[in-house]
Amino acid sequence: MKCSKLVALTLSSVLILGGCGTTVERVDADTAVDLSGAWNDTDSQLTARTMVEDALSRPWFKKHMQATGKAPTVIVGKIKNLSHEHINTQTFIADIERELINSGDVEFVADATARKEIREERGDQDLNATEETRSEMGKEIGADYMMQGKINTIIDVDGTDQVRFYQVDLELISMKDNRKVWIGQQKIKKLVENSKMRK
Amino acid sequence: MGRRSFLPSFISYRFFLLFALLILSGCSVTHKKVNLLSQSLNTNSPEAVLTQIQTLKPEERDRPLFNLNIGTLQFLSQDYPAAITSLTLAKDEMAILFATSFSENIGAATVNETMRSYSGTPSDLVMVHNILALSYLFNDDPDAACVEILQADIMMKKLIKKDSNSGQLASAHVISAIIYELLDEQDNAFISYKFAAELMQARGAPLTDDIKLSLTRLSKELGVLDQFDQYKTEFAISDEQINELTAANNSNLYFIHFDSVVTSKKEVSIMVPSYHDNRNDQLVRIAMPSYPNVARSIGSADIDVGEQDIRTTEIESVDVLAREDLDAEYPAILLATTARAVIKYDAVKNAEKKDPLAGFLMNVATVLSESADVRSWNMLPASIQYAYVSTNEENVSIRARKLAKRKIELTAGSKHVILTSSISDKLFHYQQDKSIY
Repeated sequence: MKCSKLVALTLSSVLILGGCGTTVERVDADTAVDLSGAWNDTDSQLTARTMVEDALSRPWFKKHMQATGKAPTVIVGKIKNLSHEHINTQTFIADIERELINSGDVEFVADATARKEIREERGDQDLNATEETRSEMGKEIGADYMMQGKINTIIDVDGTDQVRFYQVDLELISMKDNRKVWIGQQKIKKLVENSKMRK
Repeated sequence: MGRRSFLPSFISYRFFLLFALLILSGCSVTHKKVNLLSQSLNTNSPEAVLTQIQTLKPEERDRPLFNLNIGTLQFLSQDYPAAITSLTLAKDEMAILFATSFSENIGAATVNETMRSYSGTPSDLVMVHNILALSYLFNDDPDAACVEILQADIMMKKLIKKDSNSGQLASAHVISAIIYELLDEQDNAFISYKFAAELMQARGAPLTDDIKLSLTRLSKELGVLDQFDQYKTEFAISDEQINELTAANNSNLYFIHFDSVVTSKKEVSIMVPSYHDNRNDQLVRIAMPSYPNVARSIGSADIDVGEQDIRTTEIESVDVLAREDLDAEYPAILLATTARAVIKYDAVKNAEKKDPLAGFLMNVATVLSESADVRSWNMLPASIQYAYVSTNEENVSIRARKLAKRKIELTAGSKHVILTSSISDKLFHYQQDKSIY
């Protein structure tokens, strides 16, 4: 009789589970939601905020202000993904750019791709826009510093459990003389315990 | 007749029969079609087979396998973005299915093994990173390819067992080594070649000359002189050979060749009448998956380098991996099949006691529903081969079974990854962008 119950249970399970559908719930963009333990938007935002705050509180900033009397101009270069995950570094770069601009402490200039497009537009203005509204060539502000970096991971795995260690290294390099004026490091450690059973 | 009904009243035996026939007949037909398509790859192009397989409608539980097969064909058709999408989906689905399912286990214990979702064999779980890494690489994204080889490494660590090489792929280590060499990470490349060599030796496969030369040249480049001396003696490699290989302006070619198509599983079944009380009681059917013995000749690809004709040699037999995976799983399959036969037998007996016709119908349903799980990632090559070339020639010519002779121009000091497949007329080529590294 036990076997018969198993057959009935199977049929019921198949029918019930067949009816399971997708549900979507909107959550606040600032809410931390960890599903897989992989690098996510929360890691990106928190790391960008912490590291930019750290960068702007270090001596290079004061020294630059004292030496030039104006806020430093910064550009964000390449952030290399050397981790075990496919990380969209563009969103991380965008988070760093936002934090830098919103700090109000530094001037910020567009990256190489954006500059190219703007120069094309300026060239077009040269031909087609009126003199009063035209933006002239050769008036760009050059960056004083470039921020570059890399994301590394170390993953320790045992069966269904993992310890994921992320290390983000950023550095600010003087465009004038290649001096490294700031090096920042942010570490994130996650313990991911995957279920051994599913429905 | 006095026994309680074992099924809810709204589900009759006829309903169960209909359910079993409808659900299960469709599944096995799809699996058999995919297996036939896989074998047709020896004569049809991957593009033609891709078009055919895309017309099939897989069950949700077969979706990961479907994506693996589709992704492989998309890769062989050089549609790399599509291959990356399909294989990533399969990888993610298999990661979710890594956990054991309660409901699917009940389904497998009472109906048949195909009631489980296809969660991939240990070799599949690593091989998906191999094909993804190559897809990213030929899509000019070596950084993303590197992510895949790192994930392959994690997966192999996850699957490691004390007394088995299950889920440990020499090809994954060789592909890792190639990608590390492209990224100018010679130390990591050296370690990967060492792992590959250890695995090949553990499987009793001969260590190829290309792996021997790679180990020796990298130990020299890295200045690991004790190991360099050891390799030179062990592999009988002369100083002249090494000096030629490591000349500063040489071009380096890492050549991968996929040969033939991996064997598909077949069902082996027996049906016997059970005798009880000296009468033919009911029919009992047992079905198990197996790999047929296929006599095949494995070919290779050729590279003409100046006066030399270099051939690719096998670093991994995917056929052997597939059989190893099935062998490892066999005791569990046998146990589940036996237990299921007992459960089905009991179910028929109970139905028969209630109503002879119901018993007969239930017996038909149990016999028809019994089928072996013959699902496998069968668009993969049967053999993965490798050759390493270091040359100061200005060009090399490549030949494979369906590929007419193709010339590749080399600039001094350049690094190239080349892939051919015996079932495709395409040449896969990636040249390192020195401005990045």
